[in-house]
Amino acid sequence: MLTSQSSAPSEPTRRAFLAGAGIAGAGLALSGCTAGPGTDEITFYQSKPEVIGYFSDLVERFSTDRPAVRVSHDSTSNLSGGFVRSSPPDLGCLNYNFEVARFVDRGALTDLSDLPAAQRINPDLQPLIELTANYPGRTSVLPYSLMMASVLYNREIFAEHDLDVPTTWPELIEVCDTLADAGITPIYSTFADPWTVGQGLFDYSVGGMVDVTDFFTRLRQQGTDVGPDSPVSFQKDFAEPVQRMLTLAAYSNDDATSRGYGDGNLAFAGGQAAMYLQGPWALTEIAKLDETVDVGAFPLPMTDSADDLRVRVNVDLALWIPEMSSQQDEARELLTYLMQPEVINAYNEFANGFGVTTDAPDVSNPTLQELQPFYDDAAFYLGATQLIPQSIPVHNYAQALVTGSDPDQILRTLDADWARLAFRS
Amino acid sequence: MATSLTSRKVAAADAASVPPRRSRVDTTFYLFLIPSLVLFTLVITLPAVMGIFYSFTDSIGFGEFEFVGFINYIVMFSDPAILGSYAFTIGFSLVTVLVVNAAAFLLAIGLTSKIRAKTALRTVFVMPMVVSGIIIAFVFNFLFSNSLPRLGAALGSDLLSQSILANPDLAWTAIVFVTAWQAIPATMLIYIAGIVAIPGEVYEAASLDGASPARQLVSITLPLVAGYVLINMVLGFKNYLNAYDIIVGLTDGGPGTATRSVAMTIFSGFTGGDYAYQMANAVIFFLIAVALAMLQLRLTRGKVSV
Repeated sequence: MLTSQSSAPSEPTRRAFLAGAGIAGAGLALSGCTAGPGTDEITFYQSKPEVIGYFSDLVERFSTDRPAVRVSHDSTSNLSGGFVRSSPPDLGCLNYNFEVARFVDRGALTDLSDLPAAQRINPDLQPLIELTANYPGRTSVLPYSLMMASVLYNREIFAEHDLDVPTTWPELIEVCDTLADAGITPIYSTFADPWTVGQGLFDYSVGGMVDVTDFFTRLRQQGTDVGPDSPVSFQKDFAEPVQRMLTLAAYSNDDATSRGYGDGNLAFAGGQAAMYLQGPWALTEIAKLDETVDVGAFPLPMTDSADDLRVRVNVDLALWIPEMSSQQDEARELLTYLMQPEVINAYNEFANGFGVTTDAPDVSNPTLQELQPFYDDAAFYLGATQLIPQSIPVHNYAQALVTGSDPDQILRTLDADWARLAFRS
Repeated sequence: MATSLTSRKVAAADAASVPPRRSRVDTTFYLFLIPSLVLFTLVITLPAVMGIFYSFTDSIGFGEFEFVGFINYIVMFSDPAILGSYAFTIGFSLVTVLVVNAAAFLLAIGLTSKIRAKTALRTVFVMPMVVSGIIIAFVFNFLFSNSLPRLGAALGSDLLSQSILANPDLAWTAIVFVTAWQAIPATMLIYIAGIVAIPGEVYEAASLDGASPARQLVSITLPLVAGYVLINMVLGFKNYLNAYDIIVGLTDGGPGTATRSVAMTIFSGFTGGDYAYQMANAVIFFLIAVALAMLQLRLTRGKVSV
C-alpha cells in the first residue's frame, strides 16, 4: 500500500541511492580483505603489555633496515580467533604457555630447526620446551626470554635482624619465626588473586620437593588411570609439598585473603614484609613505587638439603611462525633479526629476563644476580601450574588450599579432573 | 491479527466495485523482515548450529578435529566443576530473585504512596541501573575487602573482620547483595507501572467501605499486580542464570571454585582451549533456558493484560 502511493520520480532515486551505498559498502569490505596478500606486509604479534613500546621501536628499526618488508605490530587481536579464521599472525612472540601449546600440538606451527638461530639455543632449555608441547620432528618454537621466579626478600630487613638467606626448610622456618617474633610479617601474600598463589606458594613448594618434569612425564603415561591406587598421582606426590605450603602460608599477613597483586607490590615496596613470592616482573612495579628498596632473591628451600634448591622458570617469550602464514620468508627474516645477539641480549637486560642462547651474557640486575648460579647449573623447573591444562582451574584450587579447604580433597579433585580430561582427549 | 483485520475490512469495502480477490499480504511487509532475519540467522542461528555440531567433536576451535560422539556430554555430567557451577548458579538465582522482588515490591509501594519528594526519591533509587555491572562490582569489591573488614575489626567481630569475599561459605551472599543492588531498580519500575495502572476508584470504593491501607494492599494491590510478579520472577531468574560480570569483578569465581557460574565455566572453554567440551555445556545450558522460556510463556499467557 505504501509503495503504490509513493510518487514515481522519487523511487528510482531512492533505489539508486541505496544501490550506490551498497556497492560502496561492498567495495570497502573487499578492499579490507585484499590488503593482506600480494604486498610484503607481515603481521608481528606480541602482546606482553610491559614491552609493547620496546618491540614497536625494534620493529621500526627493522623496517628502516629492510624497507621492502612492512611490518604491522599487533598486540590486541584474539590469537585463537586468528587461527580459526585462517589468518594468524606471520610471526608470534608470546608467552610459551598452554595457549601456544595447542598450536604446537596440532601442528599449526612451522619447523624452525634449519635456522642458524636455532643452533644457538641453550640445550638445557629443550626439555622444558618439549614438556610443555612437542610436535614430533619439529622445532616449533624458539625461546626468546626466560624468567626465573623465586622468593624476593628485603635485604635491609634481613640485615637488621641478622638473618642469612635460608637454604634448607628448617632454616626457612627459623627465619620466619625470628621475623614473626620481632613483629614483622615474614611473607606478604596476595590470596585474592588466584594466579599469585598458583605461581608462588604452590609452584615453589611443589617444585622444591618434586621433580616436576619426571612427575608430569609419568603422569601423562598413566593416561586415564590416575587415582589413589596409581603409582603416580597428585594426592600421593603433592601431599607433602602442600602440607609445607600451608605451614608457610600461615606466616602471611593477616589480611592476605583480601589482598591482590597490586596490594602486594605496594606493601613489599613499603617494607611491610620481609619476603614476597613473586617473579621478576614484580621488580619493575616495586621499583616504580620505591627505587631505593634493596631487593634480593633466593629459591624457596623445601627440603633439608641445600643441593635440592631449584628456581621456577617460565619461557616468558618464544618466537613461532604459523604454517598458515603466506609470508614465510619475510617472517623468518624478522625472526632472524630479533635473534641477533645484540638485539636479544638488550631485550633480556631491559625486561629482567635470562638469556636463552649459549652466547647470552650473565644478568646485570642486582636482584637477579643471586639466581645466576642456579641458571648456570640448570637447577630450574617449570611450575606445576604451567603443566596442568587450563581447563583445570588449578590456580583456583591453589587459592582454595590457602583459604581453608581440605587439602586431601583438593588433590583428589585434581586427580579426578586429570583423569576426566585424559578420557575425553 | 491487526493486519488481517484491516485487509478484510478493506476487502469488504472494495467488494462492491472490484471482484473479490484472495487477500494477499503486500510483499513490502516481507521486505521489512529481511534485514533482521538475515542478521539473526548469520549471527545467532548459524553460530548456534555450528556450536551444536562442534559439541560432538574434540575441536579446540581450529585445525583438525575428530567426532567423539556423546563423550563430551557423558563426561560433563560427572564433572564436579560443571555440576558445581550449575548448583551455584541455580541456588544463587533463586535467592537473588526472591530478594530482588521482595525489596523492589516494597520500594514500589513506598514510591507510589503519597509521600514527599517522590520524584526525587524515584530518581535516586533508579540510579544503580545506569552504572555498568563491572564497575559496581569493583567498587563493592573494594568495600568488602577493605572498608567492611575494618568496620568489623572496630566492632570486635571475628567473622566480619575478614573479607566475606574470601570466605568460601559466605562469598555468595556478597554476590547476591551486589546483584540485587543493581537489579532492584528495573524490577521496581515494572512494579511501579503495575501499581499506577490500578484505577484509583477501586481504592476510593475500598476506603468508603472502611478498608484499612493494609487490607487494601493485600486485597487490591497484590492480586492486581500478580501478573507483574510473575513476569519479574521468571525474567529475573533467567537473567541471573547468566550471571557473569558482577562475579568476575567480585570474586572471579573464587575463593577456590566456590562462586563459578555456568557462564564463566562456558567462557573458560574459549580461553582454555576446551572449546568442544564447553560447547556441550552451552548446549545443555541453552536447553534449560528454552525450558524456562516455555514455562514463562505458559504461565504468563493471559495474565499480563490485567
